Amino acid sequence: MPIVGIPLDEFYSLYGEELPPDILENELHRFGCSVEGWATLQRYRCPRCHALSETGESTPPPTCDSCGADFRLEANRPAPEGEVRVLRMELLAVRPDLFDPPGLARALRGFLGKEAGAPVYRLEKGTWSVEIDPALAGPEVLRPRIAMAVVKGLSLNDASLRSLMKLQENIHWALGRDRKLASIGVYDLSTITGSSFRYQAVTPEALSFVPLGYDPADAESSLTPARILTEHPKGKAYARLLQGATRVPLLIDETGAVLSMPPIINSEATRVTRETEEVVIDVTGLEDRHIERALNIVVTSLLEVCPSAHAESVTLHYAGETRTTPDLSAQEVDVDPAAAAELVGTHWNPGEFAELLRRMRHDTVLEGDRVQVQVPAWRADIVHPRDLVEDAAIAHGYDHLPSVDLTAATFAEAHPREIRAARARAVLLGLSAMEVMTLTLSSEATTFERTGLRHREEQVRLEHPISVEQTMLRVSLVPGLMETLAVNLGHSYPQRIFEVGSVVFADETQETGAREDLHAAAALAGDGFGYADARGLAEAFLADWGLTVASGLEFQASEERLFLPGRGAEILLAGRALGRVGEVHPAVLEAYRIIHPVVLFEVNLEDL
Amino acid sequence: MSYKYREIDLRILQTLASEAGAVGIDRLAGLLDLDQSPVAAAATILAEQGLLTLTEESEEELRLGTRAEGWAGGACPERRVARALAQVGGRSGIKELPARSGLEQKDVGQALRWLAARSWAFKERGELVQGEAWGREEAPLAADEALVAALSAGSPARRSDLVAQGVAVDAGLALLSKRPGIVDVKVRRRRLAELSSAGREALAKGIHSVEDVNELTTGLLVSGRWKDVDFRPYDVTLPGREARQGKEHPFRRVLEDTRRAFLFMGFEETASPWVESAFWDFDALFQPQDHPARDMQDTFYVGRPDRCRLPADELVERVARTHENGGDTASLGWRYSWKRSLAERCVLRTHTTAATIRELAREPKPPRKVFCVGPVFRRETIDYKHLPVFHQVDGIVIDEKASFSALLTLLGTFYKKMGFERIQFRPAFFPYTEPSVEVFVWLESRSDWVEMGGAGVFRPEVTEPLGCREPVLAWGLGLERLAMFRYKLSDIREIYLSHLDWLEEVPQCRS
Repeated sequence: MPIVGIPLDEFYSLYGEELPPDILENELHRFGCSVEGWATLQRYRCPRCHALSETGESTPPPTCDSCGADFRLEANRPAPEGEVRVLRMELLAVRPDLFDPPGLARALRGFLGKEAGAPVYRLEKGTWSVEIDPALAGPEVLRPRIAMAVVKGLSLNDASLRSLMKLQENIHWALGRDRKLASIGVYDLSTITGSSFRYQAVTPEALSFVPLGYDPADAESSLTPARILTEHPKGKAYARLLQGATRVPLLIDETGAVLSMPPIINSEATRVTRETEEVVIDVTGLEDRHIERALNIVVTSLLEVCPSAHAESVTLHYAGETRTTPDLSAQEVDVDPAAAAELVGTHWNPGEFAELLRRMRHDTVLEGDRVQVQVPAWRADIVHPRDLVEDAAIAHGYDHLPSVDLTAATFAEAHPREIRAARARAVLLGLSAMEVMTLTLSSEATTFERTGLRHREEQVRLEHPISVEQTMLRVSLVPGLMETLAVNLGHSYPQRIFEVGSVVFADETQETGAREDLHAAAALAGDGFGYADARGLAEAFLADWGLTVASGLEFQASEERLFLPGRGAEILLAGRALGRVGEVHPAVLEAYRIIHPVVLFEVNLEDL
Repeated sequence: MSYKYREIDLRILQTLASEAGAVGIDRLAGLLDLDQSPVAAAATILAEQGLLTLTEESEEELRLGTRAEGWAGGACPERRVARALAQVGGRSGIKELPARSGLEQKDVGQALRWLAARSWAFKERGELVQGEAWGREEAPLAADEALVAALSAGSPARRSDLVAQGVAVDAGLALLSKRPGIVDVKVRRRRLAELSSAGREALAKGIHSVEDVNELTTGLLVSGRWKDVDFRPYDVTLPGREARQGKEHPFRRVLEDTRRAFLFMGFEETASPWVESAFWDFDALFQPQDHPARDMQDTFYVGRPDRCRLPADELVERVARTHENGGDTASLGWRYSWKRSLAERCVLRTHTTAATIRELAREPKPPRKVFCVGPVFRRETIDYKHLPVFHQVDGIVIDEKASFSALLTLLGTFYKKMGFERIQFRPAFFPYTEPSVEVFVWLESRSDWVEMGGAGVFRPEVTEPLGCREPVLAWGLGLERLAMFRYKLSDIREIYLSHLDWLEEVPQCRS
């Protein structure tokens, strides 16, 4: 999970007061935010884009967080802007409304009882509109949806600008799956002409614009979308999102000036600065539920920072469909407080329950025994009334819930396979062998080539192994024993080890296409051990399952490369293969760099 | 109790009886043809019994010192000068002396001093002149020279022995008193044993030895002869022979303690396939098909087999509709188009919740308490904190009276059973539980809370499509972490490396 750094100054000013760090940390944990720690960061201002960058190091970061300018160049040397104390939190992907200081402050003001219910944000019907090119939904582009809003009356500073930028980045990660499902752009409205926009699919060479972070004074800065995708750092980083597209999406104003090329980059001309008072926001993506949710979070965050600001709606004209965004209306959910309390294991009357939810910033209406909950527009994680039960439980405090014992009578029963495995281990422990546990993943190279096991049944193969040592589920315990002996070369001899565990084979008769067999295997290592020792051990083990040569156990010469020719046997029971026993071939020992004789046996416990 | 004579005791007493007076232990050992140390030990015991007396005497032992080289055959270096002088008629220039006597120039001064002291020669105006003690015949060996000659065999000699040979030890040492390093004198102590009157009486009465035995044998037991022998006492403070035992793996004990804890709380144990369908691993748990946890980045998809069989169509259909629009639950669902082909994919199970959810689907009727301990697989690169395979315990409680508070109480009980005193519950998010919680335990060694696993009440989107309308408590807890804390491991890989040193050394009956 990514970590977000919440600047404390900004947070406290939005929260309304300072809190002792230990209390803040504890309350955040009680609220469900995972605090990773605290840090002091150095701030630097970029000479090109004037945005702030932060670093935990004592030297400036190599590049500007905002425009990517190379700070190592003399011309781009950043100016120190002092330090900032930040709270480091792990992001909870389902709550992007808590990713920035305004959102977190809004939540904690409720949780800690400073405010209750949802804040009211001003949203006015705007005269703004956007025409959406149907080609965006076609096979040429596949970035069909857009949601937009205008926010006016802002007064931004360095800190809030930086938080806004960070919020976009984090939403891109959490909601946007790295901009795939949602990509946000924010533009200075004063740089835009007219009130109608166009969201269009254009050919990559059709026009050119100056991407964010490039110098507009430089004639070389104006690039075609094709060049941005191959030359600009952001273009290269996100080109995969437009892979296969023959045209690129562009957001333009009435005059054809480019606002952005979603989901890659904005234009330099529309850059938001400290002087910006009015912004246009767009979120593009594949589905309305993702992009509208992202839009609501960004819009309400800005309105939270500047309480005197207001939002204006934008009308979206799709072919045959018209929508208006942002939609900040609440989602109504009907909840039964008695059932909620019963599920949590406590008692709440409707008033108490409503009050808990109001502390979680929901508005509530009491209707007899039930509570109508108005879930605010920035909380799109509420998909079932049960989600509100959790909100109430968090507001109540997990640490204040009663101790409740389960009373229904149930009867313990161990799984037969575990019972069988425990018995096998007891027998082998009684034979003075040391239990080892090895990883259940192995490889063809280790199993068949290095160890020389015969390929009996198909193994379960991984589609995308993470290393060459782990490409399949193990089909035998022998390679694990050999590897264990190989890491214990420095230990005194003789060594006696065993493992009891499952091995897996592909098996079409099974529901999931594979079958686990419980195996037991033991190995003896040291001078003087020979076939007779392994065979004696195997017979002693099998005798405890009631199996002896007299009762039908057979030992047949084995051809397996694992064993010295003539010193390995297949163990059979009534003609069925049960296992193997023998003296390990010196070539196999050499492959494991083992310099002591090893004898071993392995049996399948499934049919015993 | 009367003393039991051993063979060695009897032989010592008999030998002493045949010798007159006190006998040194060294000599006694020689007579008995034994090493000195057992003879000395036995003599001490016999002296304690009053059968002999031990006395100690000290004696000087003489041997040639480090500067005796020039004294070959006892002749002192100045004797060579005197001889050379005699050959040239009793008078020679001092400067010619080294050439004539074979002395080195640096030793000439010393030689002149001793020649004068012995009155063999004197200096006279740059010349050396024969003295009165050196006549026509060469002077006989002086006492010191005779002493050196007596010692020239090289081995040390006792003063008493030298005197007995007629060597004038005192006179010789006196002459050498100003010439250190020619003869060294050391004081040696030796012990002498002499039969006491009690010993003599005992011998006269006739005594029998008892056999001295090391090992108790079947022969001794069967014959009853063990009564007549003496078992040599051992030094019981010495370390014993190394014993090799078979031991349970330390991590096995964590797994077994976990199983036992849930069995004792009345849970039945279940299991599920390691190769699992995405349906049971994810879809049945309301994990959307585009959830990052389902990516090939995090989950091992299986190349062979590549398709699993899904349960009854009706069940699959209910799960599908719940994903798409909430189905019959009060949920909005994930609002996307659910694909059967993705649910049929084979994965290595990413959690043991796959086992408990199968059990819930098989028999949703309360009351039930079910758990599963087993390996799970995640596509993690191996490092000190991560392995692609690790173990979990998952559990569910299906009970119409079950509540979130009961879940917290149950988890608290489990961690207390596993040895943790302080437990903290924090809100968390999991796609299939609501309310959800993360369990933390206080770790004194880190002075911090450490996360152990997640839990919650299964969402209605999970339980209702499976035909269960009662609350279902569920949890999944990592177990390697417990082992790392219990055995103070800093690297998770140590658990599976199976270093025999570690396996042998971890105490089985503690922790």
